[in-house]
Amino acid sequence: MNTQDYIESGILEEYALGLLSEVERAEVERRAAESPEIRQELATIAAALESYAQAHTHTPPAGMRERVLAGWQAAIHQEAPSSAAPAGPATEPVVRQLVPEAEAPAARFSWLMAASVALLLFSAAANLVLYNRWKDAETSLVIAQSEQARVATTMQAVNKSLASRTAELSVLRSDEFKSIELAGMPAAPTAKARVLYNAATKAVFVDVRNLPAPPAGKQYQLWALDQGKPVDAGMLAATTTAGDSLQQMKDIGSAQAFAMTVEPEGGSQNPTMETLTVLGKF
Amino acid sequence: MQRLRARDESAMTLFYDKYSAALYGVILRIVKTEEVAEDVLQEGLVKIWHSFPSYDATKGRLFTWVLNVCRNLAIDKIRSRQYRVSSRTQPLEGSAALRQAAVPTFRPEHIGLQDMTAKLNPEQKQIIDLLYFGGFTQSEVAEELNLPLGTVKTRARAAIKVLSKLIR
Repeated sequence: MNTQDYIESGILEEYALGLLSEVERAEVERRAAESPEIRQELATIAAALESYAQAHTHTPPAGMRERVLAGWQAAIHQEAPSSAAPAGPATEPVVRQLVPEAEAPAARFSWLMAASVALLLFSAAANLVLYNRWKDAETSLVIAQSEQARVATTMQAVNKSLASRTAELSVLRSDEFKSIELAGMPAAPTAKARVLYNAATKAVFVDVRNLPAPPAGKQYQLWALDQGKPVDAGMLAATTTAGDSLQQMKDIGSAQAFAMTVEPEGGSQNPTMETLTVLGKF
Repeated sequence: MQRLRARDESAMTLFYDKYSAALYGVILRIVKTEEVAEDVLQEGLVKIWHSFPSYDATKGRLFTWVLNVCRNLAIDKIRSRQYRVSSRTQPLEGSAALRQAAVPTFRPEHIGLQDMTAKLNPEQKQIIDLLYFGGFTQSEVAEELNLPLGTVKTRARAAIKVLSKLIR
């Protein structure tokens, strides 16, 4: 581009208005240094802008001269000790490019928008994941709780049965108790049971070895025979009949023999002699 | 100028008397309120004082240089966020500075605002005002006036050419 075209291109006007980028500005200054015509043109343009600025001349209000000059003096004396201050402004170019700063807020805003949307999406996804995990955790918790309750119940049952077994064991090992073997009678020859009797405390326990299952609606009843007279010693529970455990019967003051008969549920006043199953004497 | 270069503080008083009205007019045209214009003018003097050693007389006239220092300070001021929020919506045409009659000060060949604006057509004047006093970039002007960027550039150049012819 020759000098005249360059002048005509209008780039010098943009230069004077401070609208050029750093690179373009340097190019203008390089060409101006080489060409007196360009220098002349730039001077004219600057003068044009000067006169346009001049046209806006506005006499400052009264008193401003003193305030401004005093403020200026205070400022330069305050800044004088820090020698770094003048260096800053000195390096700044007089004709400045405004474009980067102008676009910054809009760009920053859209970046902020994009960032917020991204954050929102990320947060939503994270929420979904966390919600699902929380649901799973809750389900597991319910399962664990019911399991725990079940274990506790079992534990309780085990403790209870352990306690009763311990009690039974203490009866069996005790020297206080006398053991009476009850042998099977003609009605049930294979039947076998044992009575443990403590004469001091009058406690009676039954330990069934083998008894035929009673007919429906019937139950075994234990009798103590005191001087040939039968005394009710209580009904045998179904578990006792099955030989599951010892059963404590009614207290008996004195007895020489024990026997069992099959009676209607709830027991009878007097034994039904035909159903006499087992009998044993001291 | 020599005295300014020699850091003679009394030279600043002379400088003030010579240029303050023109600088104040331009600053006021940009920042639109007298209090802010006064602050900017004072900041401008401080900056001119400190930067004076960097002023290169071969690159341009002193007035152009100080004009640009003050203009940039004023534009920085209106570009600072809180100022933008409060004043951006204010129309340029309503500003006090525009209604002021031009007062000739130091240039004998001074041309009045009326004469100058009479030569500029309204589109050119609007664009030059937005660029020179509004702190707008050419792209911002294009957006504001809903014009293609090319048109804005063409009008800006044409406007300056008109002004140059006036003083030639």
